[in-house]
Amino acid sequence: MNVDKKSVVPYLYITPWIIGFILFTGGPIIATILLSFTKWDLITPPVWIGFSNFIRMFKVGSEFWWIIRVTLLFTIFSVIISISWALFTAILLNQKIRGTNIFSFFYFAPAVVPLIALTFVFQLILNKELGIINYFLSFIGIKEGPNWLMDKNLVLWVVTVLCIYTYFTGQMMLIFDSALKEVPKELYEAAEIDGANSIDKFFKITLPYISPILFFNLVTATINSLNTSFTLIYPLTAGGPGRATQVISLDIYNNAFKNFRMGYACAEAVILFIITVIVSLLQFKISKKWVYYEA
Amino acid sequence: MGKFVKILILLLFVSMLVFVGFSTEVITIKYAHWNALNETYNYVKAFEKKYPNIKVEFSLIPEAEYSQKLNTMAMTGTAPDVLCLWECDITRFAKAGLIDPLDDYVKGSKEFTLDDFIPAVKNLIRLQGKLYGLPWCFATEIMYYNKDMFDKAKIPYPSDRWTWKDFENAAKKLTIVKDGKVEQWGCDALSFQGLWYSLIGTFGDDIVNDKGQFAIGKGAKDFLQWWYDLTNKYKVVAAPQVSTSGIISTDLFMAGKAAMAFNGSWMTSVYKDIKNFRWDIAPIPKGQRQYSTLHTGFFAIYSKSKVKDAAWKFIEFCLSDEGQKLINKAGNNPSARISILKKGYYKVRGPMGPTRWDAIEKTAQFAQWGYVLLPPGLTFDIVKDFNAAILGQTSIEDVLKRAIERAKDVLGEEGVVTQ
Repeated sequence: MNVDKKSVVPYLYITPWIIGFILFTGGPIIATILLSFTKWDLITPPVWIGFSNFIRMFKVGSEFWWIIRVTLLFTIFSVIISISWALFTAILLNQKIRGTNIFSFFYFAPAVVPLIALTFVFQLILNKELGIINYFLSFIGIKEGPNWLMDKNLVLWVVTVLCIYTYFTGQMMLIFDSALKEVPKELYEAAEIDGANSIDKFFKITLPYISPILFFNLVTATINSLNTSFTLIYPLTAGGPGRATQVISLDIYNNAFKNFRMGYACAEAVILFIITVIVSLLQFKISKKWVYYEA
Repeated sequence: MGKFVKILILLLFVSMLVFVGFSTEVITIKYAHWNALNETYNYVKAFEKKYPNIKVEFSLIPEAEYSQKLNTMAMTGTAPDVLCLWECDITRFAKAGLIDPLDDYVKGSKEFTLDDFIPAVKNLIRLQGKLYGLPWCFATEIMYYNKDMFDKAKIPYPSDRWTWKDFENAAKKLTIVKDGKVEQWGCDALSFQGLWYSLIGTFGDDIVNDKGQFAIGKGAKDFLQWWYDLTNKYKVVAAPQVSTSGIISTDLFMAGKAAMAFNGSWMTSVYKDIKNFRWDIAPIPKGQRQYSTLHTGFFAIYSKSKVKDAAWKFIEFCLSDEGQKLINKAGNNPSARISILKKGYYKVRGPMGPTRWDAIEKTAQFAQWGYVLLPPGLTFDIVKDFNAAILGQTSIEDVLKRAIERAKDVLGEEGVVTQ
């Protein structure tokens, strides 16, 4: 059999990646699915228990329902806030003013500060007794400032707002920044001749033009928020007060490594995977109505 | 010299070489810990100096991943020969047959006897049936107080006989309100998660009973109601602050904003840097009984180790006077051996305090392992609910009901009793 070299070489190029994927991603995914049907405390052999973990998870009155609710709320709010903020700062950077590089540095600087350091700083800033925010509030007559991170009605909002300081939001800002620079200037000039104001130009030229990038950021921000919210919430509130910020990624960690219930944690991970897939597919489906791939 | 004698001498020479070779063979033991070795008080180096034929291969595992990493290593058969296991892991490791009983080793030891250890060590043996680990040192939970604030308010310092009534009265007198805002709190909020269980323990609940079951109920209810009143009705205790991994980034006691605080004895090494007020320590006040929680790591021998005797030699050295002196000084933690504890190697005082080190020693007499024997995820999750109850976000009854349900979920029905 004659093997066409040209058809084999590309496969050879991607082989290392495929092997890496099978070993380090595919393997763990299959292991996670299999372990979700077991009871396993990490040190004794796993015991097959069928769908028990899933039944326990979805039984009436289970805490898992609450965790799903918090996860979805956090995802929706954090995606909206972080994308809006990234787009807003990117637009500011595209204004014709001097020193945009300096602003660019200041906008991006928090994104490169380690998240763990940022969260501890925010714990201090938001502290009820010693925090600087409540100190400033005392000047305008608010003697008893809010307990920002311990008020169950406030904490989810506070945490989602703090998403703007994460690396991911900074990265989105840079992506938006380059996308905005690609919008042809002639379109704006033509619109101006037609009498369009800034808002018209933004909604009718800028937004449609950068919609593929907006869509890309939307999908990745959603996946990121669903899967990696742990890195922000764990050091900031650890899911408290009560269960106010207990997102699913945090619960997976707690069950796996703090309660030694690896089987249950794997079942939660499987559900998180399914949620992520469904949400992403929905986004792709809806995108057909608002994303324009041609200028 | 005959040929036979020559051969004999040659054989003797060769056998001597072989003997010398064997006797100087270096055995390597693996040892892991979450604390980096202190260069000044390096107990591993001291051990290697004393036993030149044993080399210790030390691995530093970050504290946040320590338990997880040891579990994974044990699962894959790569655990170190000497483990320093946390309280929540030792029972699980013992049940899984991953660590060896140490009873026979201790019986044969010339360095120490079990009678020399603090009472909680024997209680653990009773709970586990055998001795599976020996504490490398210990820490406990105590009360801290600002002496200057007590002097200013003309209140006598907390004594060993203090009850919660004395505490409440003092907290009320020590709280200073100006223009409707609290300027000085009688007591800081509970920050470290273990304190909730220690304080509930003084209200009568077992926390963990003789059978190893999680046991809370009436004591927890009474305590939470009382603490809620102190926080919200009398406003003498600060409102709970966010506490992640049991540590908060703000400390009203250290900031000179609270006259009293409860915390781990390890905080003496942090508070010793205080320069603007005098402070001291006392045991946690008495309720229905005296109670506090002990913290430690247990030296244990991995059951699949091939160098168990050398591993025991290392543990024995670490628990000897020489080893304990280095360990105690390195981390400011007291020894779990009473005779060494009395020597006070751990007492590293700051310019403003503390002076009453006996508070730690007295606490060691009645302190128990308690909640630390349970999975940390469970106990920490329950604390988040306790905080919510004190903040008035959920009722105390609901919190306790949920705590029991959660404990049953994690530990199984047989692992929980309601008191």
